[in-house]
Amino acid sequence: MIEVQGLTFSYSRDRQALHGLDFTVEDGEIFGFLGPNGSGKSTTQKLLTGILKGYGGKATLFGQEVSSIRGPELYRKIGVLFEFPYLYANLSALDNLDYFASFYPREQRRDARELLELLECKPDFWKKPVSSYSKGMRQRVSMARALIGSPRLLFLDEPTSGLDPSGAVLFRSIIERERKKGTTVFVTTHNMLDADLLCDRVAFLSNGSLAALDAPKRLKEKNGSRQVVVEYWTQGRRESQTLDASELAAGLPFAPDDIVSIHSQEPTLEDVFIQYTGRGLT
Amino acid sequence: MWNHFCVLLKKDFRMLAAGRFFWIAAGFLALYTAYINLGYVRFMQMPPYNVYLYDPEGTQTEVSALVQPVPSLEALDAALQDDANGVGLDAGEGAVRAVLYTGAGPVDRHRADYALSLLHPAGSRPPEVVGSNTPEQKARKEIACELLFFELSAVGFLGIAAVLFQEKGMGAIRVHAILPLRKSLFLLSKLTVFLLSDLCFAALLTLFNVGLADGAAALPAILLQTAILSLLMALAGLLCALLLRDFRQFTLAYLMIAVFAATPVFLSANTSVKFGWIGWHPFYHLYMGLKNAYFGIPAGTSAYYLGAACAIGLLFAGVQLVFHREIGKEG
Repeated sequence: MIEVQGLTFSYSRDRQALHGLDFTVEDGEIFGFLGPNGSGKSTTQKLLTGILKGYGGKATLFGQEVSSIRGPELYRKIGVLFEFPYLYANLSALDNLDYFASFYPREQRRDARELLELLECKPDFWKKPVSSYSKGMRQRVSMARALIGSPRLLFLDEPTSGLDPSGAVLFRSIIERERKKGTTVFVTTHNMLDADLLCDRVAFLSNGSLAALDAPKRLKEKNGSRQVVVEYWTQGRRESQTLDASELAAGLPFAPDDIVSIHSQEPTLEDVFIQYTGRGLT
Repeated sequence: MWNHFCVLLKKDFRMLAAGRFFWIAAGFLALYTAYINLGYVRFMQMPPYNVYLYDPEGTQTEVSALVQPVPSLEALDAALQDDANGVGLDAGEGAVRAVLYTGAGPVDRHRADYALSLLHPAGSRPPEVVGSNTPEQKARKEIACELLFFELSAVGFLGIAAVLFQEKGMGAIRVHAILPLRKSLFLLSKLTVFLLSDLCFAALLTLFNVGLADGAAALPAILLQTAILSLLMALAGLLCALLLRDFRQFTLAYLMIAVFAATPVFLSANTSVKFGWIGWHPFYHLYMGLKNAYFGIPAGTSAYYLGAACAIGLLFAGVQLVFHREIGKEG
């Protein structure tokens, strides 16, 4: 679906934003693009969505070089959710969706009411101006806007930003549902939980270069210590021991009165990110 | 493409309606019409100065009805103190003497001559009148032209910028970067809405204030000049709104345009003040084009129309360039 080779981009002669990125995104994959502010995530997304022009290297979408695809032809196939909910505040959710939907071919348009129901937007608000919505509600309408043209490729920038925990769970389930329908999803995020739970593979971006690219689970495995911490009671005292996971195969090397907990020492995705890039995600 | 254009047009009409733009335009139309009919035309028919005559012996026998007699020199002084623009005539010592508070040299002479001419209204030779306009028609056309020029260059310019700032503020403008439509349509629909609004305004202002017969005869030429000015001002408004960060910066830029660009044009076109460089001022030609259209004089040369077309083309290209940069911005 997406193929990027040696992708470079400079905003000016002394401000190179991307230093030769290489990655591919398969059809139907959820691909996470992770990096701190200023690492080049948004630049990459803008290049792939044709908003920025003048890149070096190769970037193909649907088998065609991005720079050679005519704008309307490209935008009929993709949906983009921006980090901020960009909507007409003086129009209602339905009016916004009807307006944005009208630029897509009729056979591609999804029903605005159905999408609002799917995104659990309160029906009382559907016909009220967006200016009266909470941030979370606006984000839901924005997601509906991104899905209204039945995109084959979905670019999501911080999709769960501004949502409460139940909204974030809902968004993840909707993204998963879109993937099951065959949509490819390119997620740009700071949110490690989203990346961990959603993405088939993640790429770590730091200072315009890829630091790592793999499935979240494999990245954690590769960079974990393969140790477990056992907490237990023995002779009336609470104690803990750190063991190599391999030691467990032969059983515990001590005899506890009672085991309180066994925790693997698998690193979080954020720990792995810091290991690769030397900086956190904020 | 046509469908997309219609969708954008409908949205822009809704945005303007929501921003009460049409109500504001209708309000200005009513205000201008009231001003012309209830104020300006009456004002233009008033005598330029009040004239007071002190003539104790009754030596002046053919005096115009516009002259106000006063019983004493003290009363003449009091009248002039109350009305410093007025002119006093003292016929108490044989020869008539004009008395006035000074304003400016050439104008003072005019005031005195005018006052003295009222003593013998039948004797003064009326000048030969050329042109077919009555004084009222002339006044109506002049003021309608000035108000239309002001409306197009100020209100329309601010209006389109206000709409674009609103869309910029909401971020909705950026969504259009990833919609399957030609980006130029986004700009064209805005220009069309403002053009249609300005054409309606120009037609109504002309018909209401110049008169149906006179107004209708001049209307095609007026609408052509309106279209040129409307497009130029709307494009300039779009460019400023895209380049400047907020409406406050924009209003400052607008004040600069209003003060330094429009003032010399009005001075040169409507008074005897003539700047040598005014021929290089594009607004001067636009204003004169509109004024000539109102007075039925063939407006502009082919160079004028070619220049206007080039300016519209260049501005549109500039606006497109800045628009693409704007919709690619973050946050």
